[in-house]
Amino acid sequence: MQGTHSDLEPSVRIRDLKKDRVNFILEHVDLAFANSLRRVMMADLPTVAIDLVEIQANTTVLPDEFIAHRLGMVPLVSSNCEEGMRYTRDCTCMAACQYCSIQLKLDVACHNNTTMDITSNHLEVSSYQMNDFDNVGEGEAGDEPSKRGEYFGHPVGKNDPDVAPVLICKIRKGQELKLRCIAKKGIAKEHAKWSPCSAVSFEYDPHNKLRHTTHWFETDERGEWPLGENANEEEAPRDDEAFDFNAVPRKFYFEVETDGSLGPQEVVMQGLTELQSKLAQIVLGLKKTEPEMLTGERVDETPQAPPDAWGSGGGGGWGGGGDASGGGNASGWGSSSPGRGGGSGNTWGSGGGWSSPAQQGAAGWQV
Amino acid sequence: MNAPNRHELFVLDDGEKSLEVTEDTKIPNAATFKIVKQDHTLGNMLRAQLLASPNVLFAGYKTPHPLHPYFLLKIQTDGSLAPAAALEAAASRLIATLSALEGKFRREFSFKDGESGGPAAAVGMAGMEGDPYGGGGVAWGAQRDYLDF
Repeated sequence: MQGTHSDLEPSVRIRDLKKDRVNFILEHVDLAFANSLRRVMMADLPTVAIDLVEIQANTTVLPDEFIAHRLGMVPLVSSNCEEGMRYTRDCTCMAACQYCSIQLKLDVACHNNTTMDITSNHLEVSSYQMNDFDNVGEGEAGDEPSKRGEYFGHPVGKNDPDVAPVLICKIRKGQELKLRCIAKKGIAKEHAKWSPCSAVSFEYDPHNKLRHTTHWFETDERGEWPLGENANEEEAPRDDEAFDFNAVPRKFYFEVETDGSLGPQEVVMQGLTELQSKLAQIVLGLKKTEPEMLTGERVDETPQAPPDAWGSGGGGGWGGGGDASGGGNASGWGSSSPGRGGGSGNTWGSGGGWSSPAQQGAAGWQV
Repeated sequence: MNAPNRHELFVLDDGEKSLEVTEDTKIPNAATFKIVKQDHTLGNMLRAQLLASPNVLFAGYKTPHPLHPYFLLKIQTDGSLAPAAALEAAASRLIATLSALEGKFRREFSFKDGESGGPAAAVGMAGMEGDPYGGGGVAWGAQRDYLDF
């Protein structure tokens, strides 16, 4: 936003990389940019998860629906899912086929006098057979299966004795569970089970210099709000330091923790790719719809009334523009800032109102 | 029952355009873009990038209703370029930033791989041993019960 800031190239430093998590610092980018990266990693990356369950026998204490729900949550290895699989809705098959799904089977019965755990390790990937009763033709042949990584579609940790499996149900002598699952590709916007991330922590301004949040305290703010580890990365404010109205967050602390379906490296890289393809779609849409407008010519088109009356809704009203306008009057758009969006978290622009978290003050001020 | 498919929130329908432009009739050099099947992820990012341009007087976005999968992006420029051109420039700039960042991430990841002999070797999934559910189970007594028959 501020000219001096945007001159710097964005930079990244990975502090820690483990099998299931990566901790990094992203610098010299906007809050909006960092938040978009966080959102895209959590909700827009495709993975595989069990979506359909056909229960053949269930004499356990848990009802079918309960078990089906638990199975859906089991993370499955999904490396290179983007290319290795189709969405069932895009596939030409009738129900599900080898190109758009993975079939897993589970058949466990207890014959001992001890309680038996049914875990994700009992799930076996099985290829589609011609005699599967609902295998009514598969989709158009493709090379998707060849792009899949090793153990694609297997429950995470099945091939690793160090990883504890996911408990699905406990059974006693004489009880059994037999079922068939169809795992499909999807993203977390459809159901959270498709999210590759179990948690993404996101922090900026550990000393709260920007006052994006208010610390409630009884007697002593510093004592009651101990600083986190990230506070060591930034200079603490001096006691007599004046509040800097023009400061914007430029340093963001991420920790991306995956459930094992994708590795942390793949999550970050795919997230960046996914954001680019979203933006490319905008550029493409602009070129397709209004090629003339990009050259700055008028379009021969009867201008239509805007779809709604701007700022008519309660709490609506434009609040943006400010700092980029160079002191200009933003043509009567409500320019007194609605404050900073919504706290320090991730709720920018939620609700119906226009939001401009980077707003620098009322328009007209050269900041 | 009559709930729409969840994927309609993020997949374009057949023949649906991803973007619609409405030129503003009352404000000079202003236009509203309706971007379909996208949300705050894209909207806020574009808004911030547009505001960084000195030629953009105003940029703001809103999702009019959380159940409607689109957002509106309003742009007013100073007249030196069309709002659509400003939007395209902002999107291209973001793509450039992202691909630069991608290169930096790739380098950082390869450094980390090198120094720890691969992330896989470094871990061992600490704390994962030991069944969190108490596992195993105890025999319920060796006497015969009805299930033996």
